[in-house]
Amino acid sequence: MAYYPEPVARLIDALQKLPGIGPKTAQRLTFFLLKRPTEEVTALSEAIARVKAQIVNCSICFNVTEEDPCQICSDPARDARLLCVVEEPNDLLAMERTGQYRGRYHVLLGVLSPLDGIGPEDLRVRELLARLEGQPADEVILATNPNVEGEATAIYLAKLLKSLAPRVTRIARGLPVGGDLEYADEVTLGKALEGRREMG
Amino acid sequence: MPLRKTQAVVIGRMALGESDRLVTFYARDCGKVRGVAKGARRPRSRFGSGLELFTQGQLLFFETERSDLARVDSFDILHSFQSVRENLERLMYGSWAVECLGRLSADRDPNPALYGLLLRTLKALETPCRPPRAAFCFALRAVDLLGHRLRLDRCLKCGTPSPFGSKSGRLDFTAGGLVCEPCATYGSDGVDLSGLAVGGLRRLRTLSWDEALRAVLPPALEVEMAGVLEAQMARLIGQVPRTTRFRTQARRALGVNGGSP
Repeated sequence: MAYYPEPVARLIDALQKLPGIGPKTAQRLTFFLLKRPTEEVTALSEAIARVKAQIVNCSICFNVTEEDPCQICSDPARDARLLCVVEEPNDLLAMERTGQYRGRYHVLLGVLSPLDGIGPEDLRVRELLARLEGQPADEVILATNPNVEGEATAIYLAKLLKSLAPRVTRIARGLPVGGDLEYADEVTLGKALEGRREMG
Repeated sequence: MPLRKTQAVVIGRMALGESDRLVTFYARDCGKVRGVAKGARRPRSRFGSGLELFTQGQLLFFETERSDLARVDSFDILHSFQSVRENLERLMYGSWAVECLGRLSADRDPNPALYGLLLRTLKALETPCRPPRAAFCFALRAVDLLGHRLRLDRCLKCGTPSPFGSKSGRLDFTAGGLVCEPCATYGSDGVDLSGLAVGGLRRLRTLSWDEALRAVLPPALEVEMAGVLEAQMARLIGQVPRTTRFRTQARRALGVNGGSP
């Protein structure tokens, strides 16, 4: 990066550290920012600094929040006997968008991944167990992703939670709404059949 | 951009960009192939569940001139090995096998025998056989197929035939085999090995795959032999496999004891 002035090289280097951003994209973003008005770029840098300074993890559910405990954990209208376990705060937002869930959450801040060497001690599993010991739930919903890492996490948690919750459930897997049956692969279709339910 | 078609098994995957996936395959005709599957993380992706770990399928990909990464066109499932993914112990040992394979093999270096061994291992993990034994048998044969076979029949330095009676030997990884106790150099790069373990390793090498899976071994001996292979893998890879770290943590948390791999 000898061709660039030092601040430009530094920004390209910083942007490259973001997920999914390679050297070319980092360079393009840097030159895009150089062309934008000063106030717009200042607003962006302030927003980045503020999010880091003001956002913390909720000490109960580990969701990202401005105040601790978060709005969901401190909402008395939420059903405290229903707990949904998700991988990341993004998954919590996706669940909230359904508008159908009125219980509380626990964010693991990751997922078990044998190939990446990410084990239970790297997630908020111990905190989940302590939480359930102190505040029992009637049902724990395991809402991890339906991939190998999410499945491993769900299987592992189901084993651990057997003695702590009377009901441990897993979100359904199968066909996406609007999808075509003929294009579904055998594993997805098998899961959809496995999770079928009675109508009427 | 030549189009290639081959049978392959998914041995690794990671998220790439907004909705793509970087997938590592071990292909029968091409060896290790890393490729980008566009849009594979979208719920309605045409890849469906095909790109899950251990899935065997028919891979169609384009070679690209600008990068070592291929462009995955399609991957039609031949066998999903779903039951291996849905059992924590089988998943741990299967992951250990594919991690070792991925780290020890070079890109585009075909080895059909190794591909066959990988399939046999995954099929064994689907059966009631003990997962540690399947992983152990995989490792024992994989190091041979990759050209890292250790010499166990005699001391590499003085030529004394093994096993060395009541005395133990030392498996010297740098020297490439067994050395007897008097010849062993203190602090050499290797592990101590009992005469029983030497005999056990030699026997398992000669047995057929099914016989090796079924062979009855004292638990302590199996743990010792598995430890040797784990050490050799760590030596060849340059670090302890990540899956070993995962297994240690998971076992600790679930209160399960057991040997390696």
